[in-house]
Amino acid sequence: MPKCTIDGKEVEFTPGENLITVAKRAGVEIPVFCYHPGLTVVAQCRMCYVEIEKMPKLQTACSTNAGEGMVVKTQSDPVVKGRAGTMEFLLLNHPLDCPICDKSGECDLQDNSYGYGSANMRHSEERRTYVDVDMGPVIEKNMNRCIHCTRCIRFGEEVAGIHEMVAIKRGNNIDITTIDGDPLKTLYAGNYADICPTGSLTLRDFRFRKRAWMLKKTPTVCEGCSKGCNMEVQQEGNIIYRCVPRENLEINKYWMCDEGRMNYHYTQDGNRILAPRSKSNAISWDEAIEALKEKITGKKPTFLAGSDLTQEELKTLSEYINAYHSGSHLYHFGTEGVFTASQDAPLDKILRMKSKTSNLMGAEKLGIKPISEFSSSSDTVIIVRGGRADLKVALSRVKAKNLIGVGVFLENEVENFDLILPGTAFTEKDGTIVNHQGREQKIKRAILPKSTVKTLSEVLMLAANKKTKVGAA
Amino acid sequence: MTKLLSEKFYTAMKKLEPRYPTKKALILPALHQAQEEYGWLPKEVLGEVAEYIGVHSAQIREVASFYTMYNLNPVGKNHLKICTNVACCLRGADELMNFAEKKLGIKCGETTADGMFSLTEEECLGACTTAPAMMANDDYIEELDVNKLNQYIEKMKASK
Amino acid sequence: MVHETLFAQHFWKDSNRTLSYYLENMQGYQSAKKVLKEMKPDQVIEEVKKANLRGRGGAGFPMGMKWSFIPKASEKPKYLVCNADESEPGTCKDRQIMRYTPHVLIEGLLIGSYAIGCKHAYIYIRGEYVREAKLLNEAIDEAYEKGYLGKNIFDSGYDLDITVHRGAGAYICGEETGLLNSLEGKRGEPRVKPPFPAISGAFSCPTAVNNVESIANVPYLIRMGGEAFAQLGKIDKSGGTRLISLSGHIKTPGVYEIQAGSMTIRQIIDELGGGIIGGKKLKAVIPGGSSSPILTADEIDVVYDVEPLMKVGTMMGSAAIMVIHEDTDLVKLLLRITKFYAHESCGQCTPCREGCHWMESILHKILHGEARPTDLELLVDVAQNIGGKTLCALGDAAAGPVISFVKKFRPEFESYIKGQKKYA
Repeated sequence: MPKCTIDGKEVEFTPGENLITVAKRAGVEIPVFCYHPGLTVVAQCRMCYVEIEKMPKLQTACSTNAGEGMVVKTQSDPVVKGRAGTMEFLLLNHPLDCPICDKSGECDLQDNSYGYGSANMRHSEERRTYVDVDMGPVIEKNMNRCIHCTRCIRFGEEVAGIHEMVAIKRGNNIDITTIDGDPLKTLYAGNYADICPTGSLTLRDFRFRKRAWMLKKTPTVCEGCSKGCNMEVQQEGNIIYRCVPRENLEINKYWMCDEGRMNYHYTQDGNRILAPRSKSNAISWDEAIEALKEKITGKKPTFLAGSDLTQEELKTLSEYINAYHSGSHLYHFGTEGVFTASQDAPLDKILRMKSKTSNLMGAEKLGIKPISEFSSSSDTVIIVRGGRADLKVALSRVKAKNLIGVGVFLENEVENFDLILPGTAFTEKDGTIVNHQGREQKIKRAILPKSTVKTLSEVLMLAANKKTKVGAA
Repeated sequence: MTKLLSEKFYTAMKKLEPRYPTKKALILPALHQAQEEYGWLPKEVLGEVAEYIGVHSAQIREVASFYTMYNLNPVGKNHLKICTNVACCLRGADELMNFAEKKLGIKCGETTADGMFSLTEEECLGACTTAPAMMANDDYIEELDVNKLNQYIEKMKASK
Repeated sequence: MVHETLFAQHFWKDSNRTLSYYLENMQGYQSAKKVLKEMKPDQVIEEVKKANLRGRGGAGFPMGMKWSFIPKASEKPKYLVCNADESEPGTCKDRQIMRYTPHVLIEGLLIGSYAIGCKHAYIYIRGEYVREAKLLNEAIDEAYEKGYLGKNIFDSGYDLDITVHRGAGAYICGEETGLLNSLEGKRGEPRVKPPFPAISGAFSCPTAVNNVESIANVPYLIRMGGEAFAQLGKIDKSGGTRLISLSGHIKTPGVYEIQAGSMTIRQIIDELGGGIIGGKKLKAVIPGGSSSPILTADEIDVVYDVEPLMKVGTMMGSAAIMVIHEDTDLVKLLLRITKFYAHESCGQCTPCREGCHWMESILHKILHGEARPTDLELLVDVAQNIGGKTLCALGDAAAGPVISFVKKFRPEFESYIKGQKKYA
């Protein structure tokens, strides 16, 4: 493998890699703004300067591929001066909004200014300002903060396949905006806030809610569809404030869709049922378990499991049915018209899949029958659901005298239910799910479930008269 | 919706189509053709051009706003563009601009109330050896002086 | 001075632009016929290399070498694009060629396209040249009619189409990759290099971009042979003649043709320009368009060509000499120049977008007596943070004048800052 030298360290590289990638491997971080590994290289921000022996001018590391024998310096005086120059130019017109800006604490401009900029301001002229436009419900635009890195324009064109975000005018007056007040129509608008290196494009959903440095982050997987985009849940004090995508070059690269990003809201919705109830009456867990045992012990109820449950939950449920309700049927349901993995297909050219549940493939792999094969039901139907599975798919096919719900439900969904035993949402448990590619991925618990909900295995063990440990998963 | 651009536009563009490998390459010629016909480029005309090319209208707007010759606002019947760059500046362009402002009663960048004249400052027009120079709509008027400019403005006023 | 010029003798008469004049008086299309019938593309490029024909757009890059970068074999079509976006302040020579001798350009395109294997050539002409675009199209129609363009030219089996593509008012579209983006219907923003246009240019295909005058020299070059063309130039590595746009405070401004490297700037000003108007003294000369560093009145005894000018710290650029006499306010002039670059900056890269405007603001303050003593140092430092740090050469073009004006005429700036001079 060819080698080059970065700050005195010899590094191997694959031909075609740029110096930013190669430097990272040598443990050298080169500051960037316009460069993003998921987007084309434009070498516009002029922040990633490096000095290369035998080349008279400073070179931008993002647009320079490593060469055999290249000697690169990232800390020499010309580089330091070049970076300081760029930082000074970027801060000429950038408002000192840090105290009120959501991006503070995770802002590339802040970090690079601290690392490579000057503490003094030599500019005393009037600053350039813009009039902001309404970009729709997802993204808040503050054009004064923009440093014209054009990541957002490139993202729109190259990833989201849209052309709504454009740069108009030229030179110092470039305005990056949507046209004629049109809101962003893309279903991937949330990514703009992730890639913007300043607080110019921010998530409305997150606006003014929590300081970035106070958030505790848990890596997990989105449950929005069968894509299984890698995601990070960010919470503080057991309240989730934001979900952002995690890099996974095999699945979602660096992105996620808005539906998946905002999906967590329902788990914190005021209408989520968090305590057991019989019809519309609140009851204790002891009463709930008794009511459950009364309805199903020794009988053959029909079980409908959402394909939004984890593999562990589905296995536990199957074993329970085999042990205590031999002869009962179990079907999985999730999305109308997408009953099997073969019916699952992409909804667009980017990420979204037809199956609105994350574990359709997993349920199939466990041998559970799809609800499309449902023939007749018994008097009692138990619906076990993680939160995403579409209840209408189940309820439109199944008529029951006794309808029992175990898992995550919202108030307006459960009018016809006789008994509800609330369970844990996807952010409140560990587990395994299988995405449409057949990849097994782990979801991780980001927040503690409320003490008034019980995990599925706990509910089933109690129903089977088994003793449980406190907090059994 | 009735189209603002006539058949002439579409015929002219059809003639150009085989000369470029992509439809997008026709954007600059299309904008010139549309402006020639309509006088300037309002939002609706840009939308029609976008439809013809087959792109989002935001893409047409981003291209049109980059170039100074595309008028995204209405202009007067006589658009006087006086060059004030180096060679013309050395030969008295500032004096001409001051004169024009006084004569027309408007500041540089404005249009007269009756819509007859617009006055703008231009960058180098490529007429440096016959400086000072200006463009009046599409025509060049070179070796300009206050008298010549005065006569031209009078002539345009009279031809109303 | 050359007794018989290649171009200038045909200028100034509208009747000279016709095809019949070209055929009768300028051996019209004879070189193209020779090339298409008797020469291989490689031989053409060899001849151009021998001729030491430097690009006449501003960079002075040898044209033969540029053409040899185009890959011989290519799955994609190849393009020859003529850069007629003449926008460098001070320059108006290409306009003369397009107005009075358009067929020389067309014949040059024909030969050049054959040399690199191009089937469709474009002439990217600045939008303001409305008349010139029309005249070019008329000449092209004449050529098509007579069979000098189109299918099977001279029964050689070679086809060529030429299309005139009008720009719309952007100096940055004179930069070759900005031009290519504009040709493709995008914003005229320069691209990152690599890839270079020879590999991926117009429509992602191998492309050569050449200036009008460079291409217009090719028929002469072929006719007299590369070596003889090189001999016309009086200086090493620079062959042929140069068209010079001479403007400013001289008695006879105009476009003049001289043998390359045959005169000094002083000689050009005195002999061609007729000396300074109004009996004034010379103060300064901008030798190569506004992007070139300024020369004082003592520095003009340098031979006017690419390398001699580089050696004294300036450049020949687009061969546009602007002469400045003693009564000129250089601070005001520098402000105007800087305003030009700020206005024409495409806005992509940080130093140019923010820095050019900042330099304009500082100069404005200096001119209006609002500057602090440290502002002059600040101005030069900002210019140094722009020069050599940008995506394309516009940044260098903006920084060069600022640094050279302040270096060579510092007292003028200081007198404004100290309040000794006031802006009227």
